[in-house]
Amino acid sequence: MKESRVPKKHNTLKKVQPYFWLLPSIIMMTVFIMIPILSVFRISFSEVGRTGKIKGFNGIENYIAIFEKPVFWHTLMNTLIWTLVVVGISTIFGFILAMVLNQEFKGRKFVRAVVIFPWATALIIQSVVWKYIINAEYGSLNVLLSKLGLIDHFVNWTSTPASTFAWECWIGIFVTVPFVTFCVLSGLQSIDTSYYEAAAVDGATSWTKLFKITVPLVMPSLTVSTVLNIIYVFNSFPIVWTISKGAPADQTHTLVTYLYQLSFSEGRGGLAAAVSVVGFVILAVFAGIYMIMSLKSEEVS
Amino acid sequence: MKKILALVLMLVMVLSMAACGSKAPDTQTPADAPADAPADTPADAPASGEKVSLDVIISQYGNKTADWWKQFESDFEAANANIDLNIEIVSWNDIYSVVNTRISTNSQPDILNISGFADYVADDLLMPAEEYISPETKAILVPSFWESNAIDGTVWAVPILASCRALFCNQDILDQAGVKVPTNWDEVMTACAAIKEKCPGITPWGLDISMDEGQAAFSYYAWNFGGGFVDEKGDWALNTPENVAAVEYIAKLYNSGYCNANPTTDTRYPLQDQFNAGSLAMMIGPFNMTTADTKVNYTIADLPTNNDKAVALGVCDQLMVFKDEEAKDQAARTAAITKFFDAFYEVETYAGYMVYEGFLPATTNASELLAKSADKFNDCNGAPGRNEFFENFCSLLPSCQFYPMQKAEWMDVRNGVVDVEQQVSVGSATAQDALDALQKAVS
Repeated sequence: MKESRVPKKHNTLKKVQPYFWLLPSIIMMTVFIMIPILSVFRISFSEVGRTGKIKGFNGIENYIAIFEKPVFWHTLMNTLIWTLVVVGISTIFGFILAMVLNQEFKGRKFVRAVVIFPWATALIIQSVVWKYIINAEYGSLNVLLSKLGLIDHFVNWTSTPASTFAWECWIGIFVTVPFVTFCVLSGLQSIDTSYYEAAAVDGATSWTKLFKITVPLVMPSLTVSTVLNIIYVFNSFPIVWTISKGAPADQTHTLVTYLYQLSFSEGRGGLAAAVSVVGFVILAVFAGIYMIMSLKSEEVS
Repeated sequence: MKKILALVLMLVMVLSMAACGSKAPDTQTPADAPADAPADTPADAPASGEKVSLDVIISQYGNKTADWWKQFESDFEAANANIDLNIEIVSWNDIYSVVNTRISTNSQPDILNISGFADYVADDLLMPAEEYISPETKAILVPSFWESNAIDGTVWAVPILASCRALFCNQDILDQAGVKVPTNWDEVMTACAAIKEKCPGITPWGLDISMDEGQAAFSYYAWNFGGGFVDEKGDWALNTPENVAAVEYIAKLYNSGYCNANPTTDTRYPLQDQFNAGSLAMMIGPFNMTTADTKVNYTIADLPTNNDKAVALGVCDQLMVFKDEEAKDQAARTAAITKFFDAFYEVETYAGYMVYEGFLPATTNASELLAKSADKFNDCNGAPGRNEFFENFCSLLPSCQFYPMQKAEWMDVRNGVVDVEQQVSVGSATAQDALDALQKAVS
């Protein structure tokens, strides 16, 4: 009797225990994530005065108002381009860089340390530094190029909305590459060299090795870095806000900077909340796809 | 079991990821506003005796604004033992969101110093100024300033300080280029061309049409092309031929190569730095924009104009008083507020504050005092005030024009004209179309 009761008691404790330990984080998430999200949803269906006063529900008027704005669609397009370009190019760059850093060469540790710098520096500082680098009147890029004799007068690098946005994308790529590199690098280092040896014995070319061994084996880390980057880049605020604040004529906004401007410069909290909800839905779809994919692969393994 | 856990995890992950995206609006969400905003103190003041406490929010005009107000607070409390002042200094970057958060959590301050009051009136949050300003204080306020805060005959805010804009020219650069200080818009173009040709490395004209203060640029050009924000009846008149000409002129400057590189993102402050450093030849700026240590030999002139007389922009910030329906003793609260205003506008105190922050006074007696003896007060860096400065600008001030801030659509117009300037400058709309659209949107 005694002996059989002990494990049973142990069992209930075992069942309850995880939830007990999860409780603090669940409370935290409810207070700091769930409630704010629900209130953003609520505000997006409310009429909000310029003083921040909520004046009651107004149905989907905020959504209609933003969908009628050409700036919103332009911004949505910008956001997609921004996410696609920054994540896409930095994934390719990062992958190549990781392959290079995985080779044995002198000073490899030093180079690895240098590569992490753009990522380890605060985004806002990166953005401000780049703003000075590309400044047309005293920027270091102009000074450098003219000292090298490549240009004879200072160039205004951000003279059009498109060029401004391109620079913002470049800065985004610059700060994102290190993250991809280190994700891929950790994947590469876990590949057993015996695979390559076996492939060499079978007479595989280096291209075959790359696509049949390396790529499939680093795929999990690549997926993680890509999904995280999509979310991170989609939501990135400091770069665009520091470089252009969406100017000129709201041509260089992404959703996040646009909703910030709506809310804090123009005092339209309702519209800002609606834009925020649109961003939320897009991201929720991404996150959902990721979760389904990773749950599936878990089942397979 | 595993599936449930996985589901919970998935939900949590989706939410936490998405939460990053909604950071910005969250900060102004009422439900999660930080609880550190002092509770509505007047309501519970009577419980602790007769003491009335007043929450005051003051805009940060300089790096040492807080020091002056700390002194004021202790002097005031020493003189009025039954009043407890809580003065909070908030930077211009945050003040609108701070105030909005406090309004949406129903903990608005009693007295607020900000620029613009029409939105608060529209939401029925303010007390009419006549209810708390004593007749003595009202008598010394410059009448045109006092009236500029009226909506349909009721004054809702009290002018705290003023500033006005003028054309600043680097005289050495103009001499080198062989041109005079421009007095109309054609001369501006000619002068810019001469400077561009003869003074390499110098930016001829400073233009700021950024979200930060692009509406100021609109006022300089529109008013001095004979247009403006409103017609004689005070109705919006944004798509007039004069305004179209003004906006086209701005676009011409933007595309001329005579201006700073990015007028749509450069704010006034880096331009002022460049002017003070001698690399910018001309710009329109506030009367106090030159630093004490600048080596530039500069001239201050009227704005270029196509009218008979140049119109300068006057900027006037306000003090306003919020209603507090929960206050137990309304009469005591109002009396305390009246004392605050009387103490603040007392001529020596007020004149001292104007010199301290480097602004122009909104009362007649302080203007007279400063024109004669500004040097007996010190600015926030300890340097004595300059008499001639106050003499020149205080006399100019009554002729300045102000933004139509008392109109309910002002914020839309403010953002709208900036958008028009930017769109026309980058060529995504014509001046006529953009102004027509704005006029239609606000009237």
